[in-house]
Amino acid sequence: MARLLLIPAAMLVLLIGALVWSGGGTQSRADLTFINRGEIGTLDPNRMAWMQDIRVGYCIFEGLYTLDPATLNAVPGASEPAEISADKTVYTFRIRPNARWSNGDPVTTADFVFAWKRMLQEPGDYTSLLYYIKGAREYMKAFAEWGKARSEATAKADPSAAIPAEPGFAGVGIEPLDSRTLRVTLNHPVGFFLDIIAFPCCFPLHEKSMQPFIDKDVRKATGKIVYDKRFTLPPNLLTNGAYELTSWDFKRRIRLTASQYWWNKDAVKTKSIDVVSADDYLWALTIYDTGGVDWLTDMSGELAADLLKKGRKDVHVYPGFGTYFYTFNCKEKLADGRKNPFADVRVRQAFSMAVNKQVIVDNVTRLGEPITTQYIPPYAFEKYPSPKGLGYNVERAKQLMAEAGYPGGKGFPDITLLFNSEGQHGPIAQIVRRQWQEALGVDLRLESIEINTFRQRLHNKEYAVARASWYGDYNDPSTFTDKYKSESDNNDSAWINPEYDALCAKADRERDDGERLKLFAQAEKLLLEEAPILPMYHYMNVYLYRPEQVHGMMHHSRNHQVMWPIEVKR
Amino acid sequence: MGTYIAIRLLQFPLILGVIYVATFLLAWVAPGDPFQQTDRTLPPEVLAQLRERFHAESAWEFLTYYPWQLIQGDFGPSLIHQGWSVNQILGASLPVSITIGLFALIVAMVVGVTLGALAGVRRGGPVDWASLSVSLIGISLPGFVTAALLFAAFCVHLRWFPIGHWGSLRDVVLPGLALSLMPMAYIARLTRVSMIDTLGSDYIRTGRAKGLARNTVIWKHALRNALLPVLSYIGPAAAATLTGSFVVEKVFNLPGLGQHFVGSVLNRDQTLILGTVMVYSLFLLSLNLLVDIGYALVDPRIDVTAKGAGA
Repeated sequence: MARLLLIPAAMLVLLIGALVWSGGGTQSRADLTFINRGEIGTLDPNRMAWMQDIRVGYCIFEGLYTLDPATLNAVPGASEPAEISADKTVYTFRIRPNARWSNGDPVTTADFVFAWKRMLQEPGDYTSLLYYIKGAREYMKAFAEWGKARSEATAKADPSAAIPAEPGFAGVGIEPLDSRTLRVTLNHPVGFFLDIIAFPCCFPLHEKSMQPFIDKDVRKATGKIVYDKRFTLPPNLLTNGAYELTSWDFKRRIRLTASQYWWNKDAVKTKSIDVVSADDYLWALTIYDTGGVDWLTDMSGELAADLLKKGRKDVHVYPGFGTYFYTFNCKEKLADGRKNPFADVRVRQAFSMAVNKQVIVDNVTRLGEPITTQYIPPYAFEKYPSPKGLGYNVERAKQLMAEAGYPGGKGFPDITLLFNSEGQHGPIAQIVRRQWQEALGVDLRLESIEINTFRQRLHNKEYAVARASWYGDYNDPSTFTDKYKSESDNNDSAWINPEYDALCAKADRERDDGERLKLFAQAEKLLLEEAPILPMYHYMNVYLYRPEQVHGMMHHSRNHQVMWPIEVKR
Repeated sequence: MGTYIAIRLLQFPLILGVIYVATFLLAWVAPGDPFQQTDRTLPPEVLAQLRERFHAESAWEFLTYYPWQLIQGDFGPSLIHQGWSVNQILGASLPVSITIGLFALIVAMVVGVTLGALAGVRRGGPVDWASLSVSLIGISLPGFVTAALLFAAFCVHLRWFPIGHWGSLRDVVLPGLALSLMPMAYIARLTRVSMIDTLGSDYIRTGRAKGLARNTVIWKHALRNALLPVLSYIGPAAAATLTGSFVVEKVFNLPGLGQHFVGSVLNRDQTLILGTVMVYSLFLLSLNLLVDIGYALVDPRIDVTAKGAGA
């Protein structure tokens, strides 16, 4: 019997051991503690794409230009104000003399050249933003070709096989004039170039600290220099922003501490930040309500609507930089080979006109979302002459269906409405389906699938009509309009319109800002008339924080938050 | 016995290899792309580069690259959490799951065996009814209900336990209790039935006839044999509790293996899926072997080396 008791006793000892092994423990609370949407995907500027990555990215890195805390407009960051040539194609940046990395090293032009060159050699999600720079796209392609050719040459048994020469960087419009002066030459004037410069894809990197992380296997096989991403973990990652990365407990929390070397360190009000990881909105709300964190950056719409209903003053809802819409597959044939009714513009228009969106925002989303006929949020860009799209008009919708050969919905094929199972897409789909049934006599089947499969189906055009959404990234309408260019990888609708492409291309090259916005508006008007998409409403951003405790928060549609001016008084 | 253990250990690589390949194939054919995680479609050159980088250009390439890494003890990089290796993720999450699992196992064994034994000895009495009630509740209540109830009562309303904290024994109690309820209920039922059987056997009657004290008969002679069926259940129960419970970890927001396993499947993070499955399999195989050895130690009549044993 005594021997039997030894088992739980031994397990108890193991338990204590495991607890010690599992770490955690006591770290004093940071000045500001917030819950990010989910676990960070990466802190490599080359691959930052998720909002939660970018949010932390802006804390620890600083581009030549950065975001103004109040307006999110691009303002000088690591650089002094740029000199811009008369033809607006040459930007000369002069790095601040007191710009420093978190180890005290001066920030130099080499750091930017290294990071941007790496972005072209090892493309990331937003590499295309660098294509405005002269020769950048050509260099990227040439480098990729060279990598392939070199791999083939080294794979050959013949050791004397000629290894092709690596393409030069001299033709790219990124020229370091000295350690503090960088000249950037563009293909043509780009009105929002400084916004791009402020974007994470243009953050600098500290090359010397990354040297130990060069992947030797890749180097040997292809000649390419590829870095093991462990360089992004503490204590390996050197940063040049207001904060440095002090610790990172995977899926628990990230600790950021004010950098003693940041050029503007005296302005920093929050000396330490804890970024807590939580996948579950309810748990996040609970820890917030019990005082464990100061701020929730995201909430499920359903939860936020319930809190608003209760009259809570710490729920802050404001217009977002994105649109919820339905997308139609515009290909002639569906994935199963049947004729696609949505290839006919009249059918798309009819379906668009038959949806009463107010019912959706009043009964499902309930955050006061503005219903819309537009794709680009009309408040997103100052002076943008936002065009109107197709409004709610059941009679006209019926006429269009009859003209398309489906009077009263007769003869309309068996079609499925696709959406992903997460969030509120199901209830919305049910409402839309019922409205289409009542207005057009068409009964669609609903198909709910998991998000990853959903994305794949959308990308492969294996759908007829599906839910969709789009958030802009930077301060220019092209962040929305680019999605529907014919060659865009993001054009899930397969809608191809040369006139639209031409308008976007013309807008790209237009030097006059007012004219440029008009051209984008024309392009959007065309998109809305052709109706490959059915805009429903513009998103709302939701923050949760106690205004009497957390000061200095900005409510901007782009949902970025510059952290250093925030002050928490508990 | 030594030979038997050696043979069983030698079977491990073969079984793990089969599990590895089967898991990989399932993960590979599942729809969705680990490299396509946002609503933005990655440019083809980026996707190509990522697939090349992670040796995922074809199933064959993946299957011929990573097992060699695994033999060297390296599960490879996570495809989703860039910068983190699967080893690091497992290293950070396994101790959390093991801590909660051990606590749950201790509670389940101590409380379950005590309740079951008492219920078996005092059959039909109040203790038996109490044991039956606890078992019914434990078996019937899903983990997410138990965990949510404990969380709401003790963390949110009473505030006796911290939220979002890890590192002290207090942080283990609630998730451990939530995880222990089901195995505790099973152990109590198994012990009770087994105890009733054992108390009715000849050798117990002989012991009593020879004048042995009742407590000696029950706690020294009967309980030891009554625990055999419990032992056979403890193997898989330990594997299940020690390798994390997604539900409990989700409710308490604990970064354990269970959460990573579910997360990796949802994200199609193939290297992390394989890592968690291999760890789970290794636990299951090892614990089953330990149970078989335990059998032999508790009851010398059992010959685990006999043909057909240990399967």
